[in-house]
Amino acid sequence: MARADLLPRLTAMGAALETRAHLHRLGALFSETVLIEVEGDEYYLTFHRGALETITPGPSRKIPWRFAIRVDAEALEKFWQPIPEAGFHDIFGFVKTGRGSIEGDILVLVKNLRFFKEFMALGREVQA
Amino acid sequence: MSAFEPITGRYVTITAGGRPHRIYFEEAGQGQPVICFHTAGADTRQWRHIMNDAEITERHRIIAVDMPWHGKSLPPEGWQTEEYLLTTDFYIEVVLAMVAALELDNPVYAGCSMGGRIALQLALNHAAPFKGFIAIEASDYQPAWYDIDWFHRPDAHGGEMGAALVSANIAPQGPEAERWNTQWMFMQSGPGVFRGDLSFYTQDDSLVGKLGGIDTSSRPVHIMVGEYDMTCTPEDAKRTADAIPGATLAVMPGIGHFPMSENPEGFRPYFVEALAKMA
Repeated sequence: MARADLLPRLTAMGAALETRAHLHRLGALFSETVLIEVEGDEYYLTFHRGALETITPGPSRKIPWRFAIRVDAEALEKFWQPIPEAGFHDIFGFVKTGRGSIEGDILVLVKNLRFFKEFMALGREVQA
Repeated sequence: MSAFEPITGRYVTITAGGRPHRIYFEEAGQGQPVICFHTAGADTRQWRHIMNDAEITERHRIIAVDMPWHGKSLPPEGWQTEEYLLTTDFYIEVVLAMVAALELDNPVYAGCSMGGRIALQLALNHAAPFKGFIAIEASDYQPAWYDIDWFHRPDAHGGEMGAALVSANIAPQGPEAERWNTQWMFMQSGPGVFRGDLSFYTQDDSLVGKLGGIDTSSRPVHIMVGEYDMTCTPEDAKRTADAIPGATLAVMPGIGHFPMSENPEGFRPYFVEALAKMA
């Protein structure tokens, strides 16, 4: 269910990313694969210099990733509301509310935090 | 006609931690003094909307202070080889030295986040010079949910990382310009300053178990907290207020950890209410 719903939205987010010149600057040093996992459904997002090049649905044990966001589908949908409710307004809210986790090389995430947060927030602007 | 604001800024040298510190402060208005302190990693600009509020400054002298190392207050001589680590004792010394330097008579203290923590410390241990305490985004203790060492590294911009992290504590309802202005201050913070502030804020637990000793009978304590604050949550603020006999609490909807800066209009009525409680 979540997997069927998520791929079009992630793809649209990648297209929206292309139109954001400031994110090209902010993401210029970001070439990593990120795992977004929603209730067991995996999506491997591979960025190159701030552009989303590929989205590979899982499951996979072969695709290395730098950091992962694991969250339940309802929490992610709340995050993508135009005005999210408190606790769902930021990716760290998933951790704080116990609805998800952020794992892996967190320092890479933090070094690129504004870029990645703004990428994730694009889900509020695109059609699901 | 030039659009001058009523805020004026000056410098004064105080002694704290056994050393001189050149402190920058701003003020506007006349009447009841209110001395205001900023959050970690920021400066007096967080208070500019309150200082520019003619209705508030008609009867209140609003003073905002840049802590040493912050804003336009220089770090002390020799800073280049020091590790900046703020302490409760040093913070309190700065506040008391500023009250003395400005010869403030019975001021209200207002502080946000780490400044709110100090409001509680002052109320417990150094209440005498003050009329009352406005403790914003304040709790007795907040352990870190992040690694403070992220924010001072040779291979990354601590200010930009700090701003991106604290954006988690900014509510989406505030005006976009002010939400970004709030982050700009963190981006401008000196190297290691946000980390040094957080070291104090996330490790000092000296208030735990002692809040019941605060006497609010003659000096009110009013705690304010934003609904979207993930660092000092409404639950944290309520726990703190419940432990202080006579303390009052206001939860501000649609506001985060930086109320006066991220959403000035949303914050204003709550701050006016807080000032009224100090009267």
